[in-house]
Amino acid sequence: MSDLDKAIAQLRACRPIPEAQVREVCHKARELLIEEGNVVTVTAPVTICGDIHGQFHDLMELFRVGGDPPDTNYLFMGDFVDRGFYSLESFLLLLCLKVRYPDRMTLIRGNHESRQITTVYGFYDECLRKYGSANVWRYCCDIFDYLALGAIVLGAANSFPQPTDSTRSEEYYDPDIEIEVCDADGNVMSRFRRDNGTSGDSEQKSPNGTAAKTGPPGSGASGSSGGTVGNPTGAVLCVHGGLSPLIDTVDKIRLLDRKQEVPHEGAMCDLLWSDPDDIDGWGLSPRGAGFLFGADIVKVFNHRNDLSLIARAHQLVMEGFKEMFDASIVTVWSAPNYCYRCGNVAAVLELSEDAGGEGIFARSNGEVGRSDGGPGARGVLMDAENGALVKGGPARRYRVFQAAPQDSRGMPAKKPVADYFL
Amino acid sequence: MATNITTSDAPDPRAAELANATTSHRQGNFVISTRKLPISKAGPIEAMEKDLGIPVPEMIFGDNVMAVEHAPSRWRLEFNARNALDGVDKTGEQMLQVAHASSWSASREQTSAGIKEVVKPFDWSYTTTYKGTVIVSGGGAGEGQHNHERGPNWTGQFQPDDTPIPIELLKRRDPILFNDEVVLYESELDDNGASVMTVKVRVHAQRMLLLCRLFMRLDNVVVRVRDTRVYVDFDSETVLREVTWKEGRFEDVKQRLLGRGIRPEGFAAALRDSSQVAEILPTVNMWKDSVMLMP
Repeated sequence: MSDLDKAIAQLRACRPIPEAQVREVCHKARELLIEEGNVVTVTAPVTICGDIHGQFHDLMELFRVGGDPPDTNYLFMGDFVDRGFYSLESFLLLLCLKVRYPDRMTLIRGNHESRQITTVYGFYDECLRKYGSANVWRYCCDIFDYLALGAIVLGAANSFPQPTDSTRSEEYYDPDIEIEVCDADGNVMSRFRRDNGTSGDSEQKSPNGTAAKTGPPGSGASGSSGGTVGNPTGAVLCVHGGLSPLIDTVDKIRLLDRKQEVPHEGAMCDLLWSDPDDIDGWGLSPRGAGFLFGADIVKVFNHRNDLSLIARAHQLVMEGFKEMFDASIVTVWSAPNYCYRCGNVAAVLELSEDAGGEGIFARSNGEVGRSDGGPGARGVLMDAENGALVKGGPARRYRVFQAAPQDSRGMPAKKPVADYFL
Repeated sequence: MATNITTSDAPDPRAAELANATTSHRQGNFVISTRKLPISKAGPIEAMEKDLGIPVPEMIFGDNVMAVEHAPSRWRLEFNARNALDGVDKTGEQMLQVAHASSWSASREQTSAGIKEVVKPFDWSYTTTYKGTVIVSGGGAGEGQHNHERGPNWTGQFQPDDTPIPIELLKRRDPILFNDEVVLYESELDDNGASVMTVKVRVHAQRMLLLCRLFMRLDNVVVRVRDTRVYVDFDSETVLREVTWKEGRFEDVKQRLLGRGIRPEGFAAALRDSSQVAEILPTVNMWKDSVMLMP
């Protein structure tokens, strides 16, 4: 067993690793991350996760529900630290897994992966408490600066793969299923078919969306884009917060200088901080800093960039996920019972692999000419017959899960203490 | 379609859920009850936002309630999230700006001049004037009779009264027969601080104290504590209420913490502790009132 495997085993038991080892792991991670572009390219199948916030035991539950790394290919959209009691163990475990299985673990930066925010919201205090000095906090913050700002998922299928295992074979297979919501044990809770205008089911709407109609996903966006090579459904952009008025193409994200503390303004700040809202165009948050963007912004952006979907995190949603704007953007939230008191469920988003695109893409962390597939590549696999024009978005399976049982945390259930407050 | 019509005689699973989440304690003529459930789901949030006209905080416990009810008169003082948020300024007149707002907008002038419109201005710090909701159910004939015993002018509403809450009695370590704490809402203010509305209660044989506290910290700008204390004397069936608003600049709070021997590395923890902060914040406003429930 290598030192790294030992460290992973120790962290999985929720025990911190020695400072010297943190330093070593961070050093290796840095070498790895420095080679990654601002926008990492990931090939489906992939399981996309939202905020973790130091809820280590719930991260273990996530792995139980979503599959263990490296068997499952994971993409975490940031906010690993702060608020929960085990930011250190959670982040270091993910980082060790990144170093151990670089092609099966993608980590992008959230707004909490910042020096300023972690000093206020808990990670700094936790490091100080667990190590007696701020060194480990410093090592981690240096790594934060190298985390990618986003990811592009290519090759996601627009229908769920036909079940191959005999246990599921009795189920009726429907290639028109677009969204499937499963519980923690994999049982299907609900299914949503693609609305191709013939179903006649007027009640069909996007789950957890606000009055959103699930048309062909990405309709008005990638539906007419035709998709790119190995990418018949259009790609999926993953980013922690959202869009920026300074960014109209994914390639502009690639040009940013990301290796710095999260700035208070500019495109990098927006990608980590902005929120979708039911407005027209762009708006300023009432707080005086930060942007809000409406459905039209998302649709134009998706169309221009051959995207069928934007997956983002950053905002707590009671149901674990929330699709908005005709399913052109989804919020994924992966911290159940947030702050140990919200009682919410969490979710991960699974995108399965498109059979046609199999084996076409070597995993690359570099900057590929994604938006046009590179010279000569465009059109190789693209054909109108595969239905890309009708079936815009990828098939999405949301696995919804609850918080890990209280007793697995090794801490007593929180009961209000009988204090003599005045 | 007929299948979508819900029949009115169907049992309401929601009512059962709400009842199951409620804990009650009776002391003398009073019933103290608390209801605690997870944060609201997308549907109820949407409905509440429409009703209130402002976006609600991300952690909104729409089903949570803390209530004190006088059993003979059915007089009830209740604390709930919806009404608490109704006391938030919805015009934007009380609107604060985060610490880096000026540098933020200055740097934006050249790059995104088109975007200047603030979306839905309102007091996003969720500072509220809420002091609880009085519910007097005098509508029905039976209820009316009870209330007539209290005289024709009895409204059940709080009246100004300088009688202070007897703090010395509350400092005694009398056995606590019932206690609980309920969160109504909480916002992280987009990671610019925190705004939390909580209600806690402790019940003794002769008296009880309820504290509803809004604790709002906007990092590097301002800190506020708005307390509503409700004291009930079970023998005299008198309810005293004290509202205290405290506020101080963030820098001043830090200085005072320093003065109290808190070291800079302890600031973050101290600034999260509302009771520690409340002790050092200057009072900016105070009211006292009361209501007599004895016929």
